[in-house]
Amino acid sequence: MDNKTGMSPFDAAFHASAERHERFWIFGVLVMLVLLTIGTMFYVVHDYGLVTGTQSYATDPQAPAREAAFQDGKVVRTGPNSYAVYMVGRAWHWAPDVIHVPEGAEITFYVTSADVLHGFEIQGTPVNMTAVPGVVGTVKYTFRHAGLFRIICNEYCGMFHHAMVARIIVDPAGTP
Amino acid sequence: MNIEIAANTIPSAVSESDSTAASMRRLMLAFLITGFSALLIGATIGPFQALNYGGVDVYPALRPLLQSYYQGLTIHGVMNGYVFTFFVTCGLLVYLPARELGVAPNLTMWRTCFAVMAIGALCVLYAMADNSSSVLWTFYPPLKGSPFFYIGITLLALGSTMPLPILLKMRATWRRHRPGEITPLVTYMSLITMLMWGLAGVGVMAELVLQLDPWSLGLIGTVDPIVNRTLFWLTGHPIVYFWLMPAYVSWYGLLSRQVGGKLISDPMARITFALLMIFALPVGTHHQFSDPGFSSIWRGILVVLTMSVATPSLVTAFTIGLSLEYAGRLRGGQGWFGWFRALPWGDPSVAAQVLAAVTFILGGATGIVNGSWQLNAIVHNTTFIPGHFHVTVGSVTAMTFMAISFWMVPHLTGRQLISRRLALFSVWTWFVGMTIFAVGMSWAGLYGVPRRAWVSALPHDTYHALYGAASVPLALVAAGGVLLWVASYTFFAVFFGTLLFGRRAAPPPVPFAQSFGGPASFTIDSPPNPAQSASPLIRALDHVWLLTGITTLAAIAAYIPILWPFLHHVTRAPGWILW
Repeated sequence: MDNKTGMSPFDAAFHASAERHERFWIFGVLVMLVLLTIGTMFYVVHDYGLVTGTQSYATDPQAPAREAAFQDGKVVRTGPNSYAVYMVGRAWHWAPDVIHVPEGAEITFYVTSADVLHGFEIQGTPVNMTAVPGVVGTVKYTFRHAGLFRIICNEYCGMFHHAMVARIIVDPAGTP
Repeated sequence: MNIEIAANTIPSAVSESDSTAASMRRLMLAFLITGFSALLIGATIGPFQALNYGGVDVYPALRPLLQSYYQGLTIHGVMNGYVFTFFVTCGLLVYLPARELGVAPNLTMWRTCFAVMAIGALCVLYAMADNSSSVLWTFYPPLKGSPFFYIGITLLALGSTMPLPILLKMRATWRRHRPGEITPLVTYMSLITMLMWGLAGVGVMAELVLQLDPWSLGLIGTVDPIVNRTLFWLTGHPIVYFWLMPAYVSWYGLLSRQVGGKLISDPMARITFALLMIFALPVGTHHQFSDPGFSSIWRGILVVLTMSVATPSLVTAFTIGLSLEYAGRLRGGQGWFGWFRALPWGDPSVAAQVLAAVTFILGGATGIVNGSWQLNAIVHNTTFIPGHFHVTVGSVTAMTFMAISFWMVPHLTGRQLISRRLALFSVWTWFVGMTIFAVGMSWAGLYGVPRRAWVSALPHDTYHALYGAASVPLALVAAGGVLLWVASYTFFAVFFGTLLFGRRAAPPPVPFAQSFGGPASFTIDSPPNPAQSASPLIRALDHVWLLTGITTLAAIAAYIPILWPFLHHVTRAPGWILW
């Protein structure tokens, strides 16, 4: 092969064609990424409620878990068709560990941890939030179908992390 | 450190026969063997975890050695993710530039790099082996491991940045002899990688030195979980590029020669590395889309930045693809795909790198999913995530390092590969195993199967109630894991077999690629080439401190708004030992 800087005719032709295709490829890549970004942003704005929010911070990591709402662990009705759920993660269970919510209602989850990080994942939904000691995070979700959903801890929290599962029972609309 | 002495003596070009070259080869070999020994430990444990997802719990049988899935997982992540990659990279990114430039590295400093990382690795191994630190490779506080663990990681991280001053010194020496010339490509790519890593390391070093080290030693009582998590990901995303960029060094700098062609575009390689450095630093918080605490505006900005970081990898796909096509056509390949078949598939080093690049199509696509905010909510902390990074670090990095060892062990030791066929078998099995594993993991993640969970320890009916719907993908995970066992042990037979029993032969040279229009050699003995043509952009990119400044500013601009609310609401969390 030609080791000097001069190019053979094949090299020169290949190089020229490569430069043309390169410009086309980079243009295509940028357009694709812009479209993907716009797409994901549109989805976020369109369905903004699912974004993880922050309710409060505390210096004492256990303080939020001691608040009355978290202690009671009840599903609180906050409007005609909206409810609030207060959920504490502890190694290795969720409190409360069974809740009933109605189908089609907007549920706001307030989630904290009383010890280490936990992951608040409702299987089969996009609800997925880190439970952080000393921080109360929020996420809103509306269950469109009745049935059994499971809250699975998806952030490693020690020896029985895998067994940290709770249940959400979504009751059909119209049941008392 | 004898930097002063080295600066006053005129360095000479390194020739194959002198004692400096022999020392360099020995030291490089030490980095390589230590790195692959770490992979041997990590890769031995990995398939147990794959079987776990398939519902097979082997841990009770392993009890004297491993107390739990989580202890094994910690060892797997730390050994493969940190020790293996750091050692191989810190060897390569000094050895290859030294060879390319024909300048000797500061051997004392390079030995210090090895020693600091080796002590760190031993500390971490000790802390993990006695189950005192089963905190996984992300070691999120307030889970609290032993001081040996945190101090070991601190030393590993510190040692891994030491090639940076060595590279700067070699480049300065080379430039004195060849004023006005552009830094040669492999040296440039290595230097950008180390500059990126030096900047990125600030996050985890702050986490360790200011918080976790004193905390584990009992000097401070509490730490802030979310601040430390943010500092971790400040380094934890760029580490992805610290895994990837050394593989790119081989793809751009060596592979085109190995396939018998040329690198199509030297400037695109430089642009790719500059973009990777600039975009790698500010985007770490996209690992925290699911965390409360920082504003939605920043989440949106992170999406844009994360999408941008895909650009250099997509450019790489083009440049490497076309360089392979060039070689394939020279070798007589015709038509749309004929050039791909015409590549020298019989060379295990080529096969490993091309197959690694193929798996990266899946790795890159799943990475874009992870970075897409709303899609991230579906896959965050499910098996989708390890599915993704096993077709990046687990294939691109691991297979490229395996590929490098296939020519480098003969190059360093003068021993021939004991079996080309076994080497080929190992990389093909790795490719198939890792692809099956990653498809299974990603697919299972869509059913909400959590990552890092000892699901096989659940009662059988609970396991089925929770994850029965994902039984097909989880079976693929287990099957992929078993294949990877076969692949890794075949590889280690070739690697260690060659070291011990390979037949003596003339050592092959480092296969430095030549780019279109580029010179064949950059050694300081070769005549200077002041008339070298380079575009203004390439000359600008050669000002590495300018790039470093831009990257630093971008990282500061990104992290002030994110850390601000956390630092104003500090949580004082005590440690927990829960395993």
